Amino acid sequence: MRFIFAVLRQVFKNFRQTWLSQLMTLLTVSLSVFIFAFFYLVYINMLSIGDKLGYDLRLIVYLEEEPIPELQEQLRRKILAFDEVEEIYFVSRQEALERFKVQLGEDQDVLQDMPEDFLPPSIEVVPLKNLRSLNQVKLFSEYLSKLPGTIKVQYGQDWIERFYYFTRLVSIIVVLSAGLLILTSVFMVSYKIRLTIIGRKAELELMKLVGATNSYIRTPFFIEGILQGLLGSTLGLVALFGLFYWIKIKFSGPGILNIFEFSFFEPPIIVMISIVSILLCLTGSYSSMRKYLRT
Amino acid sequence: MSEHSNNTMVELIKVSKTYHPNIQALSGVSISIRSGEMVFITGRSGAGKTTFLKLLCKMELPTRGLVEIDGLDIRKMRGNNLSYLRQQIGVAYQDFKLLTDRTVSENISIAMEVSYRKPQIIRKRVKALLEELDLSDKHNSMTGDLSRGEQQRVTLARAVANSPKLILVDEPTGNLDATTTARVMEMLIGLNNSGATVLIATHDHTIYRDVEHRLLELRGGQMHQLRDGVMQ
Repeated sequence: MRFIFAVLRQVFKNFRQTWLSQLMTLLTVSLSVFIFAFFYLVYINMLSIGDKLGYDLRLIVYLEEEPIPELQEQLRRKILAFDEVEEIYFVSRQEALERFKVQLGEDQDVLQDMPEDFLPPSIEVVPLKNLRSLNQVKLFSEYLSKLPGTIKVQYGQDWIERFYYFTRLVSIIVVLSAGLLILTSVFMVSYKIRLTIIGRKAELELMKLVGATNSYIRTPFFIEGILQGLLGSTLGLVALFGLFYWIKIKFSGPGILNIFEFSFFEPPIIVMISIVSILLCLTGSYSSMRKYLRT
Repeated sequence: MSEHSNNTMVELIKVSKTYHPNIQALSGVSISIRSGEMVFITGRSGAGKTTFLKLLCKMELPTRGLVEIDGLDIRKMRGNNLSYLRQQIGVAYQDFKLLTDRTVSENISIAMEVSYRKPQIIRKRVKALLEELDLSDKHNSMTGDLSRGEQQRVTLARAVANSPKLILVDEPTGNLDATTTARVMEMLIGLNNSGATVLIATHDHTIYRDVEHRLLELRGGQMHQLRDGVMQ
């Protein structure tokens, strides 16, 4: 217990003596956490949007002629050979015409002179409702277009491709910002502690000479690392929540952002980001202290 | 510290110390110092007095021979064991080793802080020591702003602050006037009377002239006993 109090007094003393560099390190860690968490939040929300869009996503495979039940079964097997799907539905020429009539409503008279089989039969394929299959839609569509008897495959090509590239871009940014977080947390804390050690070399040498144990010298720096990680992640996440909340308020009302419901991190993710940040800062202080106590 | 069987605090057997490239500081020194003894070690500058004291707190390792403190081989002391041993040894260094950008009280406190003493006990002890060494008005002064004599007393205060069982003092009166010298010696004798083993390296004959403690001389790297001591 006396050890803990003695170490905490050392921590307090360190903070008092080097508060400016401590503050700068803290702000750097906070900013890194903020940047990483921002892109991660965007990514998570995009995954969620992808899920929602996936509900409406279906590929329509237009066929040359009405497939007989045996051919339907063959086509079904071929489709499932590519990937699992939510639903496969065969639409006959007749059903296609009925649907068209419903869509035309009062204007369905225009179809009176048309032959009843002018619309092609088709297969409606509903992929699984997750982004993996959403990203695979393009490949899936290419596969379907090569099935025998296929005239054309239709889906929302444009937005799916854009969405796909955007999620790819965001995921790359998430990885890069995670790298930034690692670099700043580990190296900033490590160099900050190394500078502190250089600045306090005489004091630390003296402490050893008057009988300070390695734990007594080391522990305050570890606590410093833990506090930098904890406070840095808290500040970064609070700032991000502030920005998130502001965007939500500012852009509420009719608009594109209101089509989808954006959400902040779930508590386990917040805890995970904080723990990772603490561990990274702790690694920074550990590497510096190990070098010092070894020499 | 352990209860050494024959109450020997310091034991050196055939200890030699050679510095690079080939400077012989100590050569085959053998000596025993009993617990509670006060010993003066004299010798000319460069005779090896500081080296001798440094060997006792493992600031230096002997090139050859055995150094034991309270029955413990100093060469084998590492990590926490060495730390706990050093907490029992108070050293007043010749070059002071003060933190010049810290106050007098901070410099003295450091020796007690590493032993996890309570802040109120530390404050009380610092105050008492400063009064004893006539430095009460320097409590919050930066040690870098003090005179050499004042710095020397702060070093001494730090060495004795933790009530160590072994006190090593290197040239304690080099920068002091006669009155302050008397005051410092009074304190060291008081600590010795309380049971501490005190080793004083000095070439100031005035501080050992009138006392009856053992007097040793380092000459040519070897230890010579000039006067047998009387245990107080």
